[in-house]
Amino acid sequence: MVRAVPTTVRITAFLFVVLTLVFVLAPLVVVAGVSVSESQFIAFPPAGFSLRWYSAILTSGAYLGAAWTSLKLAVLVTICATVIGAGAAITLHRRRLPGAALLAGLFLSPLILPTIIFAIGLLMLWSATFGPVSFTALWIGHTVVALPYVVRTTLAVLAESDPFLEEAAATMGARRWQRLVFVVLPQCLPGLAAGAFFAFNISFDEAVVALFLRTPDLVTLPIQIYNQLEFSPDPSVAAVSTLMIGVTILLIVVIDRLLGIQRFTGA
Amino acid sequence: MSPSTDNGVVDTPPLPPQGVSTRVLGGIAEDATLSAPGVFLILLAFILPIGQMLLLSLENTTGGLTVEHFTRFLGDGYYLGIVWRTLRLSLLITVIAAVIGFPLAYVMAHVGPRLRLWLIILVILPLMTSVVVRTFGWMVLLGRGGLIPFTLWKLGFVNRNFTLMQTESAIVIGMVQVLLPFMTLSVLGVVMKVDRRLEEAARTMGASFLATLRTVVLPLAMPGIVAGSLLVFTLSVSSFITPSLLGGVRLPVVAGSIYEAATKTLEWNFAAAQSVILLIGVFLVLLPYLKLTGRRHG
Repeated sequence: MVRAVPTTVRITAFLFVVLTLVFVLAPLVVVAGVSVSESQFIAFPPAGFSLRWYSAILTSGAYLGAAWTSLKLAVLVTICATVIGAGAAITLHRRRLPGAALLAGLFLSPLILPTIIFAIGLLMLWSATFGPVSFTALWIGHTVVALPYVVRTTLAVLAESDPFLEEAAATMGARRWQRLVFVVLPQCLPGLAAGAFFAFNISFDEAVVALFLRTPDLVTLPIQIYNQLEFSPDPSVAAVSTLMIGVTILLIVVIDRLLGIQRFTGA
Repeated sequence: MSPSTDNGVVDTPPLPPQGVSTRVLGGIAEDATLSAPGVFLILLAFILPIGQMLLLSLENTTGGLTVEHFTRFLGDGYYLGIVWRTLRLSLLITVIAAVIGFPLAYVMAHVGPRLRLWLIILVILPLMTSVVVRTFGWMVLLGRGGLIPFTLWKLGFVNRNFTLMQTESAIVIGMVQVLLPFMTLSVLGVVMKVDRRLEEAARTMGASFLATLRTVVLPLAMPGIVAGSLLVFTLSVSSFITPSLLGGVRLPVVAGSIYEAATKTLEWNFAAAQSVILLIGVFLVLLPYLKLTGRRHG
């Protein structure tokens, strides 16, 4: 084998990757840094070390309310997107339905279309049909945005599944629902689980739909942060943001354990 | 599934002559039931809202049809300036993302699997973090007294402490960071599949490392770069949270203008018309790409 990458190239590549990673991770590190600052003002590097901003958000009604809305929303969205996405992915994988390509396009279309266009359309339709937006509107909106991710992770897992298992079950006399519940669904599980965690993350972090559908009583955590940034940012925003980064790290670890995060890079 | 699957089923009577077709129909009915909730959701909560928006964009105050919202947008120098800024910045963001993203993906493809996993996690972590949180990070870094202006000042590149906030540079820096993971992952998927022996062959034949990169790897990675660029460009054209927080009111982009019209001045028909223009723009960019990938996947 030719080992012929020159040393200069290796060093340049190393420095380039390190610099790029610094660039990509800098905002997150900075936010975490600000959150432990003692100072009243947003400053990086942080002045001193204190957890006062964390205790500040834990006693702030606005943040707790937003956190509760976000959590409730993310859980409901996860359940809906996973259940609906499972059915969609199984049928897309089987390709028995006429117009399967069209169906695939339909299920994955929210991934391609800019979220702002969907968000504004949903706001207008909801207002015209039901009046003021509500939690349900946000729930539906986030489910639409999260659905393609569940479909994709599940399809990725099904692509590697053994098609003869279902046939074998049929040969052994299993009925349709038995094959679905005892053969197909267990094969989907890793993909569904990863999809569920993606759905949770998307709903928890999503800001565009939530911004269009916000009302004074309907504020999610990202929108609470956005409001604060527009008007009076203080280190408590950094503390909330850091907690959200923590949740993201947790979700990445779980997805990686379930399925290997690498599987989604080639797809 | 082959048609003979159900032969040998113990507890059902022998299939009637038209049994195969009933079985196929049963399969279709099962799949239709399984996908129905999804189809229902997408049609009612995704296609219908977009249809409603199309209608509103063509509606005048009395409910009749008009194109006045479109002509208002396309005939006004102010709004055309917004369109121009959006396109210019998005193009710049896409080019920078490709210039950083390709080498990054190339290195990621060539390191060992353990290191690659770590790099992927480090690239995905910001991707999965809320855009609002990341933008906040840039506000801290770029604002007056922030780390970047302060360092530039102390190093003597600028002669005073200044802020990068509310500049186009801030928008570009923030957006490149937000969108770079999409580019990197798109290119990585393609570069990973490039046959390593092609590179080795080129090197054996005397091509330098950079020549190999340029004449062998880059052309083969092109589909990934094109896919990533289209993704970054369309996301860039339609994003407004990062541009509005980093650029401020003096530097509006199209999506920001839509947001203003929809939520602040409450001109819904005008907001809808702008959205339709954005939608058409995105569609025109994506159409050739969708055709290409559609063909590739059979």
